[in-house]
Amino acid sequence: MRLNVVHETRYSYSSPVVLSQQLLHLTPRALPWQACDAHHLSVEPEPGEFGEGTDFFGNRIARLLIAAPHEELRVRADSTLSVAPREQQALALPQTAWETVRDRVRVPDGAALVEAAGFLYESPHVETWRELAGYGAQSFTRGRGTLEAAFDLTRRIYADFKFDKTATSVSTPLREVLKRRRGVCQDFAHLMIGSLRSLGLPARYVSGYLLTEPPPGRPRLVGADASHAWVAVYCGEAAGWVDLDPTNNCVVDDEHVTLGWGRDFSDVTPMHGVILGGGEHELAVHVTVTPLES
Amino acid sequence: MARELLAEYPQSTERFDEMFAAPLEPRAHWRPMLEQIAAEPVERIRERLQSVQRQMRENGVTYNVYADPQGAARPWELDLLPLILPQQVWSGIETAIAQRATLLNKILVDVYGEQRLLKEGLLPSALVHGHAGFLRPCHGARAPGDVMLQLYAADLARSPDGQWWVLDDRTQAPSGAGYALENRIVISRAFPELFRDMKVQTLASFFATLRDSLAHWAPQGGPGTSGAPLSVLLTPGPHNETYFEHAYLARYLGLPLVEGNDLTVREGCVWLKTLSGLKRVHAMLRRLDDDFCDPLELRGDSALGIPGLVDAMRRGNVLVANALGSNLLESSTLFGFLPQLSKKLLGEPLKMPSVATWWCGEPAALEDVVDKLDRLVIKPAFPQLRVEPMFGEDLDERGRKRVVAMLRARPNDYVAQEIVQLSQAPVWDKVHPRRVLARAIGLRVYACATPNGYVVMPGGLTRVASADARVISMQRGGSSKDTWVLAAGQVNTFSLLRRAIGPHELVRAGTNLSSRVVENLYWFGRYCERCDATARLLRLALGRLVDDTPGDDPGARPVIIGLLRHAEILEPGEQEPDDAELVSELRAAISDESRTGLASGVRELGRVASHLRERLSLDNWRALNRMSRTIGHNHGRLRTTTLSDVLVELDATIAAFTTLSGFALDGMTRDPGWRFLSVGRRIERMRNLCTNLKFALAGPRDTDLSWLLRLADSIITYRARYSARPEWLPVLDLLVCDDANPRSVAFQVYGLHDYARRLSEMFGDIGEEKLDASLAALRALDPGADLTHGSERLASFLDECSGAGYRLGEQLGHRFFSHVRESSHQTSAT
Repeated sequence: MRLNVVHETRYSYSSPVVLSQQLLHLTPRALPWQACDAHHLSVEPEPGEFGEGTDFFGNRIARLLIAAPHEELRVRADSTLSVAPREQQALALPQTAWETVRDRVRVPDGAALVEAAGFLYESPHVETWRELAGYGAQSFTRGRGTLEAAFDLTRRIYADFKFDKTATSVSTPLREVLKRRRGVCQDFAHLMIGSLRSLGLPARYVSGYLLTEPPPGRPRLVGADASHAWVAVYCGEAAGWVDLDPTNNCVVDDEHVTLGWGRDFSDVTPMHGVILGGGEHELAVHVTVTPLES
Repeated sequence: MARELLAEYPQSTERFDEMFAAPLEPRAHWRPMLEQIAAEPVERIRERLQSVQRQMRENGVTYNVYADPQGAARPWELDLLPLILPQQVWSGIETAIAQRATLLNKILVDVYGEQRLLKEGLLPSALVHGHAGFLRPCHGARAPGDVMLQLYAADLARSPDGQWWVLDDRTQAPSGAGYALENRIVISRAFPELFRDMKVQTLASFFATLRDSLAHWAPQGGPGTSGAPLSVLLTPGPHNETYFEHAYLARYLGLPLVEGNDLTVREGCVWLKTLSGLKRVHAMLRRLDDDFCDPLELRGDSALGIPGLVDAMRRGNVLVANALGSNLLESSTLFGFLPQLSKKLLGEPLKMPSVATWWCGEPAALEDVVDKLDRLVIKPAFPQLRVEPMFGEDLDERGRKRVVAMLRARPNDYVAQEIVQLSQAPVWDKVHPRRVLARAIGLRVYACATPNGYVVMPGGLTRVASADARVISMQRGGSSKDTWVLAAGQVNTFSLLRRAIGPHELVRAGTNLSSRVVENLYWFGRYCERCDATARLLRLALGRLVDDTPGDDPGARPVIIGLLRHAEILEPGEQEPDDAELVSELRAAISDESRTGLASGVRELGRVASHLRERLSLDNWRALNRMSRTIGHNHGRLRTTTLSDVLVELDATIAAFTTLSGFALDGMTRDPGWRFLSVGRRIERMRNLCTNLKFALAGPRDTDLSWLLRLADSIITYRARYSARPEWLPVLDLLVCDDANPRSVAFQVYGLHDYARRLSEMFGDIGEEKLDASLAALRALDPGADLTHGSERLASFLDECSGAGYRLGEQLGHRFFSHVRESSHQTSAT
C-alpha cells in the first residue's frame, strides 16, 4: 500500500525561547517491507543548525538548534511510503517453543541472537517485577510456540485493558497501568514488553503510525489520529522479530507505518528537546495518514 | 620501643599488620617513623596533631554528607600517621594497576565500538545491556588515541597473607586524588624531616602528567581555536559531596572550574560562556556522572548537564575525560571475566586478582553462592540498583531464606563476594595523645593515561574504616591517611610530557572568566561590604549600651534606631524599644541565621564564596572560615555571653572584613573579575553611606556626629584634622566630598565611574553614563551652602547617588548575569 504521512508538532511558549535543541525521530526507516519514497522535514523558525544521522538502533534521526528567540516552534514531517503486507507471512512462520528462545538468547551465539539479547533487560520506562511476569506467564504455557503465546498475550491485553486517553501520561509508571487496567497504546506496548522480558524473551518498542481512515470494509483502528506504538517480539532464529499490536489485537500488517524502534519510548521519542526560556508551553500534535493511488 | 605507645595496639591478629612483621617487631620501612614518635615528648605530638587539624579547618577541607540533615559540610578526617609502603611492594601494585587500567580501557573501547567481546561470548550481554551505564548514544564515538579512561582509580585491600586485591574499579569520574594531594601537603608539613629522609615519592608530577595528557589528546584546530587548547574541570556544583576537591584540583591544575550552565554546544563544539563571549573548550575533566552530562541524549531530567555534549564528543570536537559511558565498568560482575579477558586482550595473566566474586546471573555461580552464603556478602550487580550490602553471617534462618528467594527471583541483579579481612595500620588516638590504635584500612590508587601507557600515582588515598571494619566509606564517617611510597633511589620529579609554554599560548588576564564566576564575584563584593556595614552598625548600637563613651549623645539614639529598622535588624514600629529589648534584638541579629543581620549575611557570603572556591586564595578562605566559625557556629554562646565579649567578637569580625578587603586590593589581578568584585563593593558602600547620611540629616541639627564618623570608619581621620567636636561642615566634607577618603561618597562615585568606563572599553557600553548625573551633582556641591543640616541639594544628591548605584547594578545583572541563573528544561512530544 502507498501511504502519505504528515506529522505536525507545534509548541507555543508563553515567553521567548532563547535556545532550543531538538532531537527528532520523525523519519521512517527503510525496511524490507517498507520503502520511504519521499521525506521532507520543515521547521519554523529556520534552525541555525540542522543535521541528520542514525542512532544506536539504526533509526534515522535529525537534530536541530535554534538560537534566535522564538515563541512558537513548528515541525512538520511529510513522508510518502510503500508498505507491503506481512500478516500472512508472519502467521506462516515456523514456530519455536518459547523456552528454547529464552535459553538461546541467554547465552547468545551469532549476530542475530546477540542483537536480540540487547532487548532482554529493564529500560527507563519498562520495569519488570513478579506480578507482571505472572500476568505474562498465563499465556506462556509449557512448550507453547513463541508467536502463538505472544499473540495470546496481545489478545489478553486487548481484552483486559481499556483504551483511555485521560488515564495516563508519559510518566505514568507501569505498575500503575497494570493496577488500573487502562491507558494508551504506549502503555500497552510497555506492559507487553515488560511481560515478555520478565519471562526472558527479547521485546522491543516500535514507534510509528496507523492509517487514519481504513480501506473500505476494514474497521478504523484505535489511535489512528496520533503517533502509534506497538511491540516486536523475538520468536527465534527461524522467525525473527514479529510485530504485534496489543492496542488493536492484531499482527502488524500494511496499515502500520514504522518510524523506528528501541527498548522503549525513551529511545524513539518523536521529538525530544531541551529549551532555555519559554515559560509555560502548549503543545499540539497532528498526524494524518492517507492512502495514495498506487 | 615505647610500650605505652602500643598499649592498645593488638599485636596478634588475624589481619595483616602494615607496621609489624611479628609481635613488637616493626617492618624496616616503619622504623624511622616509630622511633621518632616514640622518642618525642607528648607536647610535640600534640602540636603536630593540632597543626594538622588547624590546617584542615582553615583550608576548609570538607566532605559533604548527603545523609546529614542540614546537608552540612563535614570536616575531612585525616590521621597524623601516613601509610608507609616500601618500593618493592609498591612496584607490584604499580604494574598491576597500570595493567588493569589498560585492560579496562580496551574492554570499554570494544563495547563502545566493534563489540567483538559480546559477539564472541567473552562478555555476557547482561553485563552490558543490563547495565544502565551502557549509554547507547555514545556507541560509535571513537575516543582520541582509543583512550576512554584518562583517569582510573582502584580500591585495594591487603589480605592476611599479604596479597593485594582489587575491591572496586572507579572508572567514570574517580574521586579522592585531590584529597590525597591535600593530605600529602598537610602531613609532609607535620613530618618535614622524616618526609625528606625517608625519600617519599612526590605526587606533583602525576598531576602535571594528567594535565599534559588532557592537552595531548584534546582536538586540535576547528572553530574558535586560537593558541593553546582550553581544558576545564566540570563540576556538578557546591552541593556535591566532593566539591572541595573539585575546586582544589581546578586550582592546582590551573583549569577553570565550570558548571554545566557555563557551557553550551554550538556547531558541534563545546563553548564556555565568558564575559567576552563564547570561548571554545577543547577538553574537560569531568566530575559529573555520565548520565547527567547531556539532557538531550542522556537523562532528560538532568539540570546539570550540557545539551549536545554527546554529539560534540561523537564528532571528536571535545575530549571528555573520562569518556561518557565509562560508568559501564563500575560493576563487580566483570571481575569473574577479567582473567580470561586479560589473556585474550593483553596476552598475559591478570597481575592482581579481584576479590572473589560470583555473579548470580550464571546458574552454576548462583548455586555456589546459596551453598556458602554465610561466608559471603551480597551486593547489587549494577550501580543503578540501590541495595545496601548484606552480610551472610548476619542473617538468621528466616533472613537467609528471604535472601535466597531474592537471589533466585532476580539472579542478574546480584553478586556475591568473599569478605576480605582488611589489613590494619596504626592511627593516632585522638583522645589519648600518647597512644596509637589499630584500624582496618583500604587503599585507593590512581592511574592516568599517557601516550606511553598508564602511569600510576606514587601514593594514594588510604581510607580508614570506622567501627564496622568490614565497610570503608567516607559517607559513613571514615577517616583518611596520607600514603607514603618510598623511593629506592632518587625521588623522581620528572614529568613525561612536560613542554614549555610558547608566546602564542600566554593567557591574558580574565579572558576565560565565565559569566557565573563574574556574577559571584560581584555579589561577593556586595556581601562583604554589606556584612561589614552591618557589623559596624551592630557594634555602634551595642557599644552605646555598654559603656559611656564621651560624645555618645543621647540625641543620636532615635537616629540609630531608625537605621536599625531600615536595615531590618529591628521590627518597624512607632515606639522606641527599651534597652533590654534592644540588647536581646541585637544579640539575635548577630547570631541568629534565620533573621536579617550579621549571621545571615555571613552565611550568604559563604554561599557565594563557595561558588568561587577555585578563584579565592587559601588566605581568603582562612579569613572566611574563621569568621563563619565565630559568627555562624557560636549561636548559643553569643546569645548568653557578656556584652563586652560580644563586642570583642564584633571587633574580630570587622577586622576579618578588613583583611578580606586587603586581599582584594593587594592579592588579586586587575582583571575584569576584580573590577566586578570592586563594583559590587562600591555600589554597596555608596548606598550604605547615602543611607547613613540621610538618616543623620533627617535627625536633630544640634547633635554629636561621632556615631556617623564611626559607622564610616573615619573618626581617626577626623580627629587628626580637627581637634574639635564633630560638626556638620567638616564631617560632611570628609564623608561626602573628600575624594581621598575611601569611605566618602565622592570616592565611590569616581571609582564606579572609572570601573564602568574600563568595563565599557572591553565589553561595549555598560551604562557608565548612569553616573554622569551623580558626578555633575557632586561637582556642583558648594561646601559653604550645601554641606549643612537641612540642605535640599545635598539630600537630592544623596538620592541621586543611591539610585545610580542601584541602576548600575541592575544594568550589569541584565547584561552579564541574567542568563546564568536560568536553567534549561526538557520537552517531549509524541
